[in-house]
Amino acid sequence: MPNNPPSFLTRVFAIWHRHVRVYNKFLLSNGLPPFLEPLIFLAGIGLGLGRYIPSMGGVSYVRFLASGLIITAAMWTASFECTFGTFIRMEFGKVYDGMLAAPISVRDMLISEILWAGTKGLFFSSAVLFIMFVFRVLPVSITVLVPFVGFLTGMMFGAISLFVTSFVRNIQYFNFFFTGFLTPMFFFSGVLFPVENLPKAVRPIAEIVPLTHSVRLSRALCNGVFTPDLVIDLLYIVAATFVFGYFAIKRLRRRLID
Amino acid sequence: MSDTRVIAVKNVRKSYGGFLAVNGLSFDVDKTECFGLLGPNGAGKTTMMKMIYGMAIRDPHSDGSISVFGYDPLYDELKIKNLCGVVPQEDNLDIELNVVENLDVFCRFYGMSKSATRDRIDYLLDLMELTDKRDSKIKALSGGMKRRLIIARALVNQPKLLILDEPTTGLDPQVRHVIWNKLRAMKKLDMTILLTTHYMEEAFQLCDRLIIMDGGKKMMEGNPQRLLKDNMEHYVLELKSAGSFGKVEGFLKETAANIGSTTEAATKEGVTDKAGNDEGAFGEAVNAETETDETETIEAETDEAASKKAVIRVEHMEEIVYVYSNDPEVLQKAVCLLKGEDYYLRQSNLEDLFLKTTGRALANAQ
Ligand SMILES: Nc1ncnc2c1ncn2[C@@H]1O[C@H](COP(=O)(O)OP(=O)(O)OP(=O)(O)O)[C@@H](O)[C@H]1O
Ligand SMILES: [Mg+2]
Repeated sequence: MPNNPPSFLTRVFAIWHRHVRVYNKFLLSNGLPPFLEPLIFLAGIGLGLGRYIPSMGGVSYVRFLASGLIITAAMWTASFECTFGTFIRMEFGKVYDGMLAAPISVRDMLISEILWAGTKGLFFSSAVLFIMFVFRVLPVSITVLVPFVGFLTGMMFGAISLFVTSFVRNIQYFNFFFTGFLTPMFFFSGVLFPVENLPKAVRPIAEIVPLTHSVRLSRALCNGVFTPDLVIDLLYIVAATFVFGYFAIKRLRRRLID
Repeated sequence: MSDTRVIAVKNVRKSYGGFLAVNGLSFDVDKTECFGLLGPNGAGKTTMMKMIYGMAIRDPHSDGSISVFGYDPLYDELKIKNLCGVVPQEDNLDIELNVVENLDVFCRFYGMSKSATRDRIDYLLDLMELTDKRDSKIKALSGGMKRRLIIARALVNQPKLLILDEPTTGLDPQVRHVIWNKLRAMKKLDMTILLTTHYMEEAFQLCDRLIIMDGGKKMMEGNPQRLLKDNMEHYVLELKSAGSFGKVEGFLKETAANIGSTTEAATKEGVTDKAGNDEGAFGEAVNAETETDETETIEAETDEAASKKAVIRVEHMEEIVYVYSNDPEVLQKAVCLLKGEDYYLRQSNLEDLFLKTTGRALANAQ
């Protein structure tokens, strides 16, 4: 009796496909905001704040901010997906229990969640980039690679968020993660101003938090200025994804399997 | 593997923080057999099933084992799940997808090709009579439709083993009978079925063999007809009030006395501890677990079956009194004495056996 369960990639992409399908069901409500948000940003910052701050980090302030916001768009969407989204799939809908009755392991399923978070990161940062192209804030050049950083950022925050979710028993607790971690990080990771401008005492914090490294990669691509230490940023992102992903899977397995 | 066992469970235990949900359970399920797990709420049925397809991990100890198609769920979870279909106790359809999408997504989980998926879905929707609900939202389905869809979903991979956890709970009789018929058809297709249910009729109709479990332990095992025949009086007289019982009590005592009462219980083999409280002729054998619930035994030897003693067993459940016996004539005579009082004389069924085995009163876990 031949009995060959589908391959690892088949399994992971089958679940990924399920997420894509659900997402595409509401194409208008899901697909429009990623484009609207950068438009609002351009209207608000470009016409308002941008006039008072002519340049930052050697480029126009609008352009400086744009290279950061491409990344935060990926961060937010990936984080929502793997906190609230995952929690609901796990606890309310019991969608995971359904999947786990098929030849799919907890590991397959969660790797797929991370991959999906990366996909959303890719899409959201592409949307921001597209608007920046249309309004000529960024040139069409090597900048087309920025969504790839969005993808990596999405995977990293997907993994971090899954890890957070593994501790959360009540959906309200995610607020601590968002207002206690992600929002403050937004201000100290070089999105709004270069981390070099931070007081000496705070600088190490900026180097520890994950967003800083993503922003640095994005900015390098947006400005076309590359330095060797970008390799460290890339390694940080890959390592954080694996480490948080590993522990998230370990902890969530215990929760999903009695 | 040359042996015909699909599932072999040996001395399996599962605890949740010190509480033993499954306590040393053993059973085997043969190929193409429909095997039932019966037992009150909290008996450990779902837990046992989950351990079989890897959704729960059994307690590690050396003499406990589970083998499904020769695979151990601890190590070959995916191989087992590849051969199984699972209908869980709680509906877990993907409410963000519609009917056909739910099936389609599942087909992908098994790595099925596009054309195989299309054919299989058409077949299953037809089988479960859901074709015209194809594009419905899950929320728009009735309970019965959801259940049928979950069964369809469990069948996408043409499983060799179908695991059904209370497949028909909450469904109306029509739907239930439809599902029974489908399951019988599945069995003919060489499918092995593991089933839990709280409907004794369902177990009786579908199961080739079953176990009755309680508190994580096996109380009884066998073919339902045989179990009933061997462990249960054939007839029951239900009396609606203690007053009615008063009218026949004398007669029953006398009858038992007339034909000679013995103190030995005749119907004990196979019935383990809890049910085995039929000692003493008409003695006040109070069920150890409960106070409202008492069992008395009146035993009598009939002429024609002197070897097999006829027993009259009386059980009180609040106001209602149950008189059990293998001898319909004795009960018939008792009925004559009732003179218009409410009664119900019937053949005993699996539910009576279930209650006899697991007790009538609620345990803490229920
Ligand atoms: N995840 C869990 N954590 C703690 N206790 C659990 C868990 N799952 C089950 N139990 C306990 O184990 C016992 C057996 O539960 P199980 O669900 O297997 O019973 P069951 O026979 O399926 O009951 P029912 O007929 O109500 O479905 C119950 O007492 C239940 O409270
Ligand atoms: Mg159950």
